[in-house]
Amino acid sequence: MLIMNNVSRIYRNDTIQTHALRDFSLEVNAGEFVAVTGPSGSGKSTFLNVAGLLDSFDQGEYKLDGISVHGLKDDALSRLRNEKIGFIFQSYNLIPDYSIFDNVDMPLRYRGFNTAERKRRVEQALEKVGLASRANYLPSQLSGGQQQRVAIARALAGEPKILLADEPTGNLDSLMARQVMELLHNLNQEGTTIIMVTHDPDQAREVSRNIQIIDGQISDFKIYAPLQPSDKDKNAITDEEKSIKSPEVMDV
Amino acid sequence: MFSYNLKLAMHSFKRAPSLYFLVLLTLSIGVGLLCANLALVSSMAGDPIPEKSDKLFHVSMNTWPDDQPQAEPLHILRYREAMKIVESDIPTHSAVFYASGVYARDSQSKSLQRFDSNVRATTPGFFALTKAPFAYGNGFAKSAGMEVVIGAVLNQKIFAGKNSVGEILELDGELLTIVGVLKPWSLRPLFYHVTEGRAFNLTDDIYAPLETAIDLGWSIHARSSSTVSNTGVQFTRDRDVFYLQAWVELASKAKQQAFQRYLDNYSQTLKNAGEHPLDIMNELRDVNTWLLEQKIVDQKVLAFTLASVLFLCVCVFNASSLLLSRFHSAKFEVGLRRALGASNKQMLMQGITESVVLGLIAGIISLLLSWLFLKLSISFLPDLANIAVLKPKLLLLGMVLALVTSVSSALYPLYRANRYTISAELK
Repeated sequence: MLIMNNVSRIYRNDTIQTHALRDFSLEVNAGEFVAVTGPSGSGKSTFLNVAGLLDSFDQGEYKLDGISVHGLKDDALSRLRNEKIGFIFQSYNLIPDYSIFDNVDMPLRYRGFNTAERKRRVEQALEKVGLASRANYLPSQLSGGQQQRVAIARALAGEPKILLADEPTGNLDSLMARQVMELLHNLNQEGTTIIMVTHDPDQAREVSRNIQIIDGQISDFKIYAPLQPSDKDKNAITDEEKSIKSPEVMDV
Repeated sequence: MFSYNLKLAMHSFKRAPSLYFLVLLTLSIGVGLLCANLALVSSMAGDPIPEKSDKLFHVSMNTWPDDQPQAEPLHILRYREAMKIVESDIPTHSAVFYASGVYARDSQSKSLQRFDSNVRATTPGFFALTKAPFAYGNGFAKSAGMEVVIGAVLNQKIFAGKNSVGEILELDGELLTIVGVLKPWSLRPLFYHVTEGRAFNLTDDIYAPLETAIDLGWSIHARSSSTVSNTGVQFTRDRDVFYLQAWVELASKAKQQAFQRYLDNYSQTLKNAGEHPLDIMNELRDVNTWLLEQKIVDQKVLAFTLASVLFLCVCVFNASSLLLSRFHSAKFEVGLRRALGASNKQMLMQGITESVVLGLIAGIISLLLSWLFLKLSISFLPDLANIAVLKPKLLLLGMVLALVTSVSSALYPLYRANRYTISAELK
């Protein structure tokens, strides 16, 4: 699904050059859920940006779903981003004065689908994240967790090959974080490939593979021991928790 | 995609109404002012008879009889030179005329109200030469006869616009029959009489046969020069009184050359007879050359137009910097859309759609402002009344200018927006 071989990304200014990624190699197979951890400034976000075609790289080779992205023009890169990648950001990045429907609809507009097809996909994606009834709400009328679920719906609407999540629970309280993680796990179980940058060791342990980036290179493939079944149970959301309504949720 | 871009443009306007209002105002004032100036220049510099302006020639001759000649050939002629021109069969049409004025009333009317009317005392060829548009009747066939053609304005004043052919007008106490009525007729400039500051006068009220006007002593209301005492127009036929303007229609270059030779031979004959001591220097000027030589485009208006072009440039820079700040504040959305799959080209189209909508609105406002500027100009400078007109092609030009300036204003901000690093705008 994603193959990087000796990828380097160097940022230069007048006085110094920073090697954000150096000879970075990684292969992610279809259906994997990979957690990327590492200290601040280690290159996690650069990796995610390069992987998501939001940033270029200086050396090496990068293939996404069998397509070598090196040398592709802006049009082709944009099409690849639109068709194969779904982004989930820490700050949700919803447009505040657009309805939930319009936010989820946004990437589909650039795919050229007709109105009926877009409507079907948006409704399906919102259904999947449990927010079908809130399609006409504005983001400010939803809780943080719900907003992140909208962002996930937006990422899913285009039926991408891979989801790239940059600290998707970083702005959420623990209950909402667990709700979002559960959603991501469900998606992964349905076959979606996910790469997630996180600072949370528990979340890193929950996934099928975790990697740590230090100084722009992968340092170790298994820093955190995989969770035992009993640990997974501890992290699951209880029925009681499910019944708790977050104080941020507003019914309008 | 266009409808989506249109929706986004409307959304963008709603988000920052004050800023877009300022952009609209800036562009509209700039374009409006330029359009108002262009309207003046266009009226002044326009070709009043484009279908044959290159075939109509004003005649100037150098036949001043004494040894203190004019610096240039005179644009006015003596009666005998004028008749020599009318006699020639080289031109397709010729017109010899002078401007006069009378008081006119319907002879059958009980009212004694008389209307001050401009008169063109002319030979019959005038109507065909100038393509005067007839609503009723025709032009008079001879240079003598108690007949007149009247213009639409006078016909409206005296006969309420009805077909007045056959009606009898009392002109300065004389009775003349109307044989033709013109449609509303506008010539900008009034090419057949641009001298004495008349370039932007209205067309005449009355067209009378030349010989009749001379016989009736209708005085000359334009420049005249003479070497003898001039006691009245009726005595000018055989005197050195220069007052008639002449135009000829020459269908080809060969005819033009033939007519030039005809004039030069005539002048040479006069010179040989000792009637003037001057070099042979007769000039034929086609309509546009004649208008150019007469400098009917006011230099002050030209200078002001240039200034308004510069002002428009300043407006574009201002609008551009306003839009730059708008696009800068929308960096997040640009980055997000790019991340979600919008290409640079699609973002560019979104920005251009927005600026086209902005341009169309600015175009409408600027045309309203142009109209307002022209109205204000007329109220301060009434002489501009016949020039300050927004013609359809100028309305179109205004819209195009507004569109071009709007898109130009957005180009640099759009270029900058497309240079943003996508990842830098998103967290």
